Amino acid sequence: MGKLLPMFDEEKIMIRRTLLKVAGIATLSAGLLSPAIAADMPAPFDKPEDVKIALVRYLSTGDFFQSYLSGVETQAAALGVDLRVFDSRQDAALQADMVDQAIALGVDGIVIQHGLTESMKDAAQRAVDAGIKVVAFDVNVENDAIPQIEQSDYMLGKLALEQALKDNGDSFTAGYVYVPGIAPLDRRDVAWQETKEANPGIKEAAMFGTLDNPIANSVANQARSVLQANPNINVVFAPYDEFAKGVKIAVDEAGLTDDIDIYSADVSTADISAMREPGSAWVATVATNPAVVGETSVRALALLLAGEDPGASVIVPPTLITQDFLNEKDIKNMDDLGAMMPQFKHADVAMTDWMPLPER
Amino acid sequence: MGKVLCKLEGINKTFGTNHVLRGVDLELFAGEIVVLMGANGAGKSTLVKLICGYHTLDSGSMTLNEQPYCPSDPAGAIAAGIVTVHQSIDDGVIPDLDVATNLMLDQLTVAGAGLLVRDRLLREKAREVASNMGITTDVRTRVSDLGVADRQMIAIARAMAHAPKVLILDEPTSSLSATEAERLFQLIEKLSAQGVAILYISHRMSDIRRVATRIVCMRDGAISGVFEKTPLDYDGAITAMLGRAMTEVNIEPVNVGEPILEIRELKLAAHSLPINLTAHDGEVIAITGLLGSGKSKLAEIIFGLQQADSGDMQLDGITYKPDNAASAVERGVHLSPKDRSSNAVIPTFNIANNLSLPFLKSFTRGGLLSWTKQRDAADKMIDQIGVVCQSADDGINMLSGGNQQKVMIGRWLLEPCRVLLLDEPFQGVDIGARRDIGQHIRHSAPGRTTIVFVAEIDEALEIADRIVVLNESQIVGEHQNINVNLNALVAQVSGANNAVECQSQ
Amino acid sequence: MNNDRFLDYAIRYGFLLLLAGLVVFFSLLASGFASPRSAVFILQSVAITGILALGVTCTLVVDGFDLSIGSVATSALMLSAYSMVILEHSAVVAVLLCLAMGALVGLINGLLIVKYRVPDLLATLGMMFLLIGLQRIPTQGNSIATGMRLSDGSMAEGAFSESFLWLGRHRFDLVLERLVPVPVVLFLIIALVVWVFLEYTRHGRLMYAIGSNEKAATLVGANVNRYKIIAYMISGVTASIGGILLAARLGRGDIASGNNLLLDSVAAALIGFAVLGAARPNAFGTAIGALFVGILLQGLTMMNAPYYTQDFVKGVILVAALVFTFYLSARRGAGGKTSTNV
Repeated sequence: MGKLLPMFDEEKIMIRRTLLKVAGIATLSAGLLSPAIAADMPAPFDKPEDVKIALVRYLSTGDFFQSYLSGVETQAAALGVDLRVFDSRQDAALQADMVDQAIALGVDGIVIQHGLTESMKDAAQRAVDAGIKVVAFDVNVENDAIPQIEQSDYMLGKLALEQALKDNGDSFTAGYVYVPGIAPLDRRDVAWQETKEANPGIKEAAMFGTLDNPIANSVANQARSVLQANPNINVVFAPYDEFAKGVKIAVDEAGLTDDIDIYSADVSTADISAMREPGSAWVATVATNPAVVGETSVRALALLLAGEDPGASVIVPPTLITQDFLNEKDIKNMDDLGAMMPQFKHADVAMTDWMPLPER
Repeated sequence: MGKVLCKLEGINKTFGTNHVLRGVDLELFAGEIVVLMGANGAGKSTLVKLICGYHTLDSGSMTLNEQPYCPSDPAGAIAAGIVTVHQSIDDGVIPDLDVATNLMLDQLTVAGAGLLVRDRLLREKAREVASNMGITTDVRTRVSDLGVADRQMIAIARAMAHAPKVLILDEPTSSLSATEAERLFQLIEKLSAQGVAILYISHRMSDIRRVATRIVCMRDGAISGVFEKTPLDYDGAITAMLGRAMTEVNIEPVNVGEPILEIRELKLAAHSLPINLTAHDGEVIAITGLLGSGKSKLAEIIFGLQQADSGDMQLDGITYKPDNAASAVERGVHLSPKDRSSNAVIPTFNIANNLSLPFLKSFTRGGLLSWTKQRDAADKMIDQIGVVCQSADDGINMLSGGNQQKVMIGRWLLEPCRVLLLDEPFQGVDIGARRDIGQHIRHSAPGRTTIVFVAEIDEALEIADRIVVLNESQIVGEHQNINVNLNALVAQVSGANNAVECQSQ
Repeated sequence: MNNDRFLDYAIRYGFLLLLAGLVVFFSLLASGFASPRSAVFILQSVAITGILALGVTCTLVVDGFDLSIGSVATSALMLSAYSMVILEHSAVVAVLLCLAMGALVGLINGLLIVKYRVPDLLATLGMMFLLIGLQRIPTQGNSIATGMRLSDGSMAEGAFSESFLWLGRHRFDLVLERLVPVPVVLFLIIALVVWVFLEYTRHGRLMYAIGSNEKAATLVGANVNRYKIIAYMISGVTASIGGILLAARLGRGDIASGNNLLLDSVAAALIGFAVLGAARPNAFGTAIGALFVGILLQGLTMMNAPYYTQDFVKGVILVAALVFTFYLSARRGAGGKTSTNV
């Protein structure tokens, strides 16, 4: 969550120096205490402390990005490599400069996290030219030598809609929350358009949405008007958790919790408690664990460094999370979710036999 | 005397029903310094504004160098060679820019001036202008860092940069010290020797004696006397200026009651002599003096807006030392300030709200303001003081200046007070309203003491029982308002004979 | 003369007529618009910005401006969440903390402006940035929700108490069951209080006098500095009330800059200038201004107008209102019969 709209959230960076230190200590202890692990790994990971990798970030604020960072950090610590974090705080030009800084620093590999194609394309090429291995998460740098790490927004939408069809049959009246022009939302919109086409019984009674801060409050105001104008709506597809929260407020206020089901994307601790409120209309969400995406990014880079091929694109599959499941397992927060739902805790992509995984 | 440079014939000007100039004739010769004297409202400033292009004349003609002269705006007047330095200096300088830019400002607006400002060249030219004027300030200094006198010199210097044929100076020394004034006089004489015609507007007798080669007096919109025989007849000029205005109002000084306000050994400036003054019940005192004589400061000290350097005050026999306006009002000291538009009028309020502002507490009922109470009090005051309006609900800006002033004074008469201070109550007020206000003040005088601060002698003569003259922050004369020796009074006001203690009682 | 009277009526009642026209228009075109429920929805959607706008109105009255209200509101949102979820305070403590925070911010704004002579726009702009940053520091930029992981590794055990959520979610019965939400009631009460304070107490009258001619107000003995500080404190407190209601509605401490709250409430206050031809800030106008925006947005949403037209529509209303205020009223003569008394 939060990742859709970082540009609306002007915020501070969180270079977690303490965590870096922890990672450093972990590296050290890995090197001293468990040489056995290192010995099993191919070069250059036979001497992991000599391997330097950099994470060059465009976006850093919000839960999603923190979680992503922690994934990168834990996987790097598991490998025992030296991780440097560069944070450009949504400054595209600075991000390109940071790639050059990383090159000058003599890193072996770079993870580019978000950014603009226009500004990152050349910088990424320079890194490749310098013999550095590069992977990119959620930014297309138009370079065949650079694998793309993606969480599939299309799949997020698709899974949520499949659940909606399963719960409500193939004909229902829907409200759709959408703001065009935001890339991940546009990709999720593709799934909605496909589903509508494939199921003529689905009637889109209203489309609405806003990004006015605080988003949930603004969406709630809109949703209430929409629900009043269209009392026959029984499904709301809100493929972004802030949207879903807003719709849920409106549904609660209108006293329609039993009549409407909300399907969304993304998940957070707060979302879990909202879904689990008694009689909550928010019945399902689909999410990729950002920490897993972070881990996958580092693993893909490690494969490249070891001379293996992770593939041109590494897709981290999303997971369907239903209200029933949360209640059944009494899941209270993201940690519980990871524990109860292994496929959420770990994605079996960009894996090899020798790859060390973070402690669970 | 040189040739006629500028000639005005049969000038008439009316504003609404107010006939301000009635057939004024005036000739300005090259190389002479004409002093224009006139009481408040005599039409001096209107005449100046006609010459320098702010107003257009209704009838009559102006010629400059024997060519018809009819400026459509101030820029036109400057282009024709008539340059004016106005009294309010801050209109003449831009405080946030440096001296050089201020001096050369006009050059920047000339059509065809280069796009880029060449600072080095600008400063060079500015230094030249400055040194011609005897200005020694570094031209890179910001004007906001300069004193008033320096600003005034800069405004004048800029005017000089145009090489004018006619230079009009409106009270140029009002904020200058004696040495600075002397510098200015020398400059004026130099210019006049170069053949510039100078029109000098002033009340200050010492200035007039120093520079005038001819005196022209105005009264009620017409020329009331021209004095050009040497030695100039200064007494005659004063009489011509004040004229019949003196005799029109007959004041019978009242028998005063108990002392109310006693001012003891109060110093207005660090180096001036202390002031002693006792104001009595029922009495109206006019304190008169030139701009900068300390009148306003005295008013502000009594009203608690400033603290005196030393000395003390007694109100009804009890020590009186107000910290601010609120504590003065609490003790029953009311001040109607000068310059009503910036100091008194609340432009968005109606008459009743403007009137009741200081005493809102007495118009509340159960914590809430009562419109009925406010309106009733306002109606009563409107009636008493003769405000011309439709109702107490009229917006204040719909009223004429005189009626606005009545409201501003009426504001302080709503509740009884011990001391009523009126600072320039006749500022920007027509003659009718002035009489109304004066009458009401005198009429309501018993029960309090009233101190009126005025710069114009005729205003003082119209309202006061007693006239106290201030000059350079000290009392230089005191007159009961019966058969006042006008010449002595004017001399005291203008500081002509500080040394002579002349009391005409 | 006839023309003048027409102009006078146009200025006085033009905006209210426009409002009535809009209501009729939407009632005919959007089914379900004309119902008590719909009216309450509109009120609810404007309640929070309306409360903020009433605070801004007080600062506008003394010829000031408060850019920090949006961030005060979101700071109150975060503070209430922090207080209840992490510090496990009760609802009463959380509310009091927020109100005190709002008053303190107002006091600091006022002192910056009055004592340190910082221009109002700059002082409150600085405060805005400061608060946006400050509200994120305790949680490292995270939103606050029950069960969240704290920096020391433990879990936040506290929760939004029921009585706190009541503030945002309870509905009083009126005509229909469970109709009027608490924020709407609070909005109406605050509007009434601010209106009476500004129009009918001597303090309000003096504040208007200060805004119109500060020097004159000083010379009639008003304590100008104190009134200015009070205006900013009112603004801070109302903004924090807005934040509390927001928190109670959302049920979590969402990080947000609050810029939209700021812009919407300023727009409401400025539209208020045009109501009844007041040509100056006034509480009644502000409430109507907020309502005006709310009605338009509700109607448009019910007619399925896309989201991006909303800001455009708000802009059009604002520009129209400003023309009403500054052009037409100026033609009628400033300070005309724009009396404070009805």
